Amino acid sequence: MGIGQSVLTKPRRPARRRMRGAGARRGILLLLLPLGVALSLGFVLPLVLLFVKSFQTSLGYGQVSGHLTFSAYVTAVTSPLYRTVALNALEIGGIGTVLTLLLSFPLAYFIRFRLRRAQHTILLLIMISLFAGYIVKIYAWTTILGTYGLINTALAQIGLIDHPLSVLLFSKIAVLIVVTYLSIPVSTLILVGAMQNVDRGLIENARDLGAGGIRAVTSVLVPLSSTGIVASLAYGFVVISGDYITPQLVGGTTGQMIGVPISDQFLNIGDQPLGSALSFLMLAVFALVYFGLTRLERFKGV
Amino acid sequence: MNPLTRLRRRGFGLLHIYVGLLLVFLFLPLVVLIVFSFSSSGQLRFPITGLSLRWYREVFANSTVTDGIVASLTVAAVTGAVVTVIGTMAAMVVNRYPFRGASVVSGVILAPAALPGLVIGIALLNFFGDLHVTLSLLTVTVGHIIYTLPYFYLVLSARLRKFDPMLEEAATDLGAGPVQRFRKVTAPLIAPAIIASAFVVLALSWDEFQITFFTIGDQSTLPLVIWSRARLSIDPSVNAIGTLMVAGSLLVVIFTRRFITESYS
Repeated sequence: MGIGQSVLTKPRRPARRRMRGAGARRGILLLLLPLGVALSLGFVLPLVLLFVKSFQTSLGYGQVSGHLTFSAYVTAVTSPLYRTVALNALEIGGIGTVLTLLLSFPLAYFIRFRLRRAQHTILLLIMISLFAGYIVKIYAWTTILGTYGLINTALAQIGLIDHPLSVLLFSKIAVLIVVTYLSIPVSTLILVGAMQNVDRGLIENARDLGAGGIRAVTSVLVPLSSTGIVASLAYGFVVISGDYITPQLVGGTTGQMIGVPISDQFLNIGDQPLGSALSFLMLAVFALVYFGLTRLERFKGV
Repeated sequence: MNPLTRLRRRGFGLLHIYVGLLLVFLFLPLVVLIVFSFSSSGQLRFPITGLSLRWYREVFANSTVTDGIVASLTVAAVTGAVVTVIGTMAAMVVNRYPFRGASVVSGVILAPAALPGLVIGIALLNFFGDLHVTLSLLTVTVGHIIYTLPYFYLVLSARLRKFDPMLEEAATDLGAGPVQRFRKVTAPLIAPAIIASAFVVLALSWDEFQITFFTIGDQSTLPLVIWSRARLSIDPSVNAIGTLMVAGSLLVVIFTRRFITESYS
């Protein structure tokens, strides 16, 4: 899909094709108008209204007062109720994202540099896995990790366990397994996209100069595909930490993340300002992580 | 054989084994799902004792699932049409006729992809609530349009950048006006890219859950039907619905494989 590729390269702008004059400008505006309307009404305005709501206070029963205060943010930060789930989201997001990258990178390398004709077949398999259905895939894991699921049955057959392991399902581990599983296809596609621009010969040269296989990859390929690595990490962290469905289906009591209480505030007659404040705090953390990752990439002098 | 080549050959073998294992990991849940969908037992236990189509009969015994399929297809079709039109116009302008502020426009289009579905979902729920709009498949479609636009734009832009602008200039030099030039030169050249991007939108919309969860009214899309069954208890019919969903995605991916894999070569 070229996701990685296109995130990273800015639109090309050859000077001679730049349109000039009032007529051209009117044409551009006209072509962008439908998109502008859709995004302002369907995205920007709802976000602004949600931001405003985070400064209001709940009067109960879904009603809010018009006064603007910081009370929702104070509750969000000070209440111990949300601290555990927020830390869980950071932990699962952090570990899951890094795990996803470590698992996807060799696959992306294999697809890009080791395959020629079979490349398209494997990309196709990854697409099928990607589009097999978010909710379907989470559900399928419950039958693998469950008390009488595939893993427990297999372990019992070999004689490694006497009783089914209950920690496999409804735990933090289960959430980590599922979110990593869900993120691998997108991460792989981003990395393959980023590696498209890397010349096969550069890695071979490094090998000829005496670098071992793994060293050739880490010293040549990693820096050259660093934009894809950062994109994979940033995208993965947002998707994993913001997941509120996986924890509900496989998380039990220990694997809950911040998204669950946020969604609760909006589903039942909850405290909507608190839910809004929590989600903007979450977005602030995402922005910090993204900023940190891009700084890290630049710092490495790539 | 000297040790160096032996090492290199072993490294090569290890990578193959690793990729094989990872593919097993990626497909194991789907295989388990499909196998259980044909199980005759109501218990999701290994090993499977017998085969039957009872879960498929159960799925089609009432209209919940078929209604869900129809709802999902309707939303995907409307989303696909709207996103294709407004997304193509925007991608053409930004990639082909760069103007001051083009990167800002790009950034705004991509912004929804940088947010978790949860935040877009609650923002829309809150917005529709403030406007007293009743939730329905229409509000679901609004969410899907916002969600899929960035991906459509990314996939199409990646392809448009490979397009040779000289071809259009040649058409102009040969006397074609703007309309004729678009119809005879630009449109045929970018049509495959637009179709590929549109199918990505269909696949994403068909699968979308996190935003739909907040914008759904009385009619459920297929993923929401699965959720309502999977959440409450162990319901083996979910395996059959899931298998149907996987089959749907499989068809779309296979149908568009030519367009999709082309963007990687």
